[in-house]
Amino acid sequence: MDAATSGDAANAPDPHEHLESIRTILFAQEQARIDALEAQTAALLAALKSQDVSQQETLTALAQKLQGEIEALEVAARAHGEQAGQLQAQINQLRADFQAETEALIPTLTEQMSGIISATIHEARDEMAEALGPVMGEAIRVQIRESREEMVDALYPVILSAVQRSLAEFVQEFQRNIDARLKSTFGLQGLFRRINAWLRGISPADLALRDALPFSLEQLFLIQHQSGLLLAYHNEAGEEISDSDLISGMLTAIRDFTQDSFGNGEEADSLNEIQYSEDRIIIQSGQFAYLAVVTSGVEPEWFRARLRTFVAELHIHYAAALRDYDGDPATLPDLAASLKQLAAQITRAEEQPAQPMSRGQKLALLGGGTLLLLLLAFSCFYLQFTVALLPVAFGETSTPTVTSTPTVTSSPTPTVTLPPATATPTLAPTATHTPQPTATPMATFTATPTEIPTETPTAVPTATATPFIPVTTRPVFAHSQPSRDASITGAIPAHTRLTILDRVNVWVEVTWETPIGLRQGWIPVYWIDFGNLSEN
Amino acid sequence: MSKRTIQKKVCLLGDFAVGKTSLVRRFVEGRFDDKYLSTIGVKISRKSLDFDDTILNLLIWDLAGGDDFRQVGNSYLRGASAALIVCDLTRHDTLDSFRYYAEQLHQTMPNASLVFIGNKVDLIEQRVIDQNEIERISQELGGFYLETSAKTGFQVESAFHYLANLLLNVS
Repeated sequence: MDAATSGDAANAPDPHEHLESIRTILFAQEQARIDALEAQTAALLAALKSQDVSQQETLTALAQKLQGEIEALEVAARAHGEQAGQLQAQINQLRADFQAETEALIPTLTEQMSGIISATIHEARDEMAEALGPVMGEAIRVQIRESREEMVDALYPVILSAVQRSLAEFVQEFQRNIDARLKSTFGLQGLFRRINAWLRGISPADLALRDALPFSLEQLFLIQHQSGLLLAYHNEAGEEISDSDLISGMLTAIRDFTQDSFGNGEEADSLNEIQYSEDRIIIQSGQFAYLAVVTSGVEPEWFRARLRTFVAELHIHYAAALRDYDGDPATLPDLAASLKQLAAQITRAEEQPAQPMSRGQKLALLGGGTLLLLLLAFSCFYLQFTVALLPVAFGETSTPTVTSTPTVTSSPTPTVTLPPATATPTLAPTATHTPQPTATPMATFTATPTEIPTETPTAVPTATATPFIPVTTRPVFAHSQPSRDASITGAIPAHTRLTILDRVNVWVEVTWETPIGLRQGWIPVYWIDFGNLSEN
Repeated sequence: MSKRTIQKKVCLLGDFAVGKTSLVRRFVEGRFDDKYLSTIGVKISRKSLDFDDTILNLLIWDLAGGDDFRQVGNSYLRGASAALIVCDLTRHDTLDSFRYYAEQLHQTMPNASLVFIGNKVDLIEQRVIDQNEIERISQELGGFYLETSAKTGFQVESAFHYLANLLLNVS
């Protein structure tokens, strides 16, 4: 059984073969599909390979083509570079030629140009002024913005004299008016007011007016000149007035109306102030915009100067924006803030206590006080001394012998009284003689009437002996020759004292003092005032 | 985002009694009395117009017409962005002045916009000015033309709105 079993086992087919055949039978279809897929894959790989080759060939061809184009461009660029180099050389040559020609032309042209310009100025003065006016105006504005100090230095001598004179006249007139009013208020209260003003460092007139009408700032309008459009508005009360734009328009219309109706249509003739009830509208003009300030009370003396400075500063910084404003506030800086700041500055300055006493005033006060004390002390001492020495001086019989003095003073013969006066000290112990010295001076005055005229004449002629001193009536240019065409040797401010050297027709040769020494030149005689008297 | 506010000066021109002041009265409320017209030759009113992103404040300078305008001169026209020139459709001589006012404005403000108004269109029987004629003149002078009636309010708002749009487009 076991042998048979083992012989069967030896003849039995291999199990792997069975398995394989079974597998073959079972997976025949899948095998076929696998084979087909493998064939398909092989075909695809072949196709891809061939495609890759063709693409590679195309790319190679493209690269070659691009390489050719790059080379062609490089050649063209080189050619253009060379051309540019040649052009640059030509430009340099032209520039050098132009420079040389310009330099050669400058002397000739300068001579010709100055001739043309002076001829044009003489022949068409108005046209020249009209043509140059706007440019000069702009140039001056720019110059002020760029180098303000230099402009101030340059204009200072010309403007100063005129401003000083005008200012002095105004202040004197104002002072006269105020003083005239104050003179009517004599008495203790007036005296007290004066002392109070002096202690506060202001004039009594100022104090009186300020006390009566305290200054306050109410509204500020910044308005464009031409259109009357409101540029900015500030109300000190903090309220926003809805019609501020209408008010600014009407204010401009009223200004235009007064300027056209009562002035010459020029800016200088424009309305500067409107007064209504206790309030005033103070107007400060600029070239493109003006500031209208509603105030009440008496303005401080520095107020208008502050407004003028503000408007001037505004024009220096924002001239173009103010000029070109067409109603869109976005084109303007924050001018309302500037107005607010200005109002705050003015209010703060006004509320500050009055100027404290100056050092001089304090010293004078101290000196006066000390002097008064010394005087009091001396008086006390003198009284005490006199009282203490009376018994010593006059003894117990120092009864009022003074009563006898009238007999001496009434003596009509001075020649007789004079000698005893010198002798009286020796007779002092006798009470009847002591009063005589007091009588003698009186006697000498009354007795020598003929001598008085001989002493006084010396003082009389001093006023009439003062010489005439010619002075300039306005700022005037001095020329090197007696001709307007001659070169200018200097500018003489108004009211400068002159020394006359010579005269040719209407021209006078003069010398005048300057900080750098004596200057000399010719000026027209009609700018000299010969009538002024020396003040010294 | 808050709207921007723009202000523009607009002049109202035309001969005496063409209805300028009545047109303004129809359109705005002002604080100044009409007596200013006869004293200083101008009265100013405001009309605010609300647009999408802008509030336009029209400051309307109602100028005295005829001889008064000639006396006051052109100073009131300075700074104007636009003008409404008005004629009375029942008086032909008021149309003749169109050219004068337009020239005055352009001399003072060369870039100002113009709108021409034929007022009193409600008086149909008395009308003497032909529409074609007035349109032709307006075109010649470079302005838009509208017929209005201050009495009935016909096209008054439209005239000012047209002007406002013109100004906004320009600005």
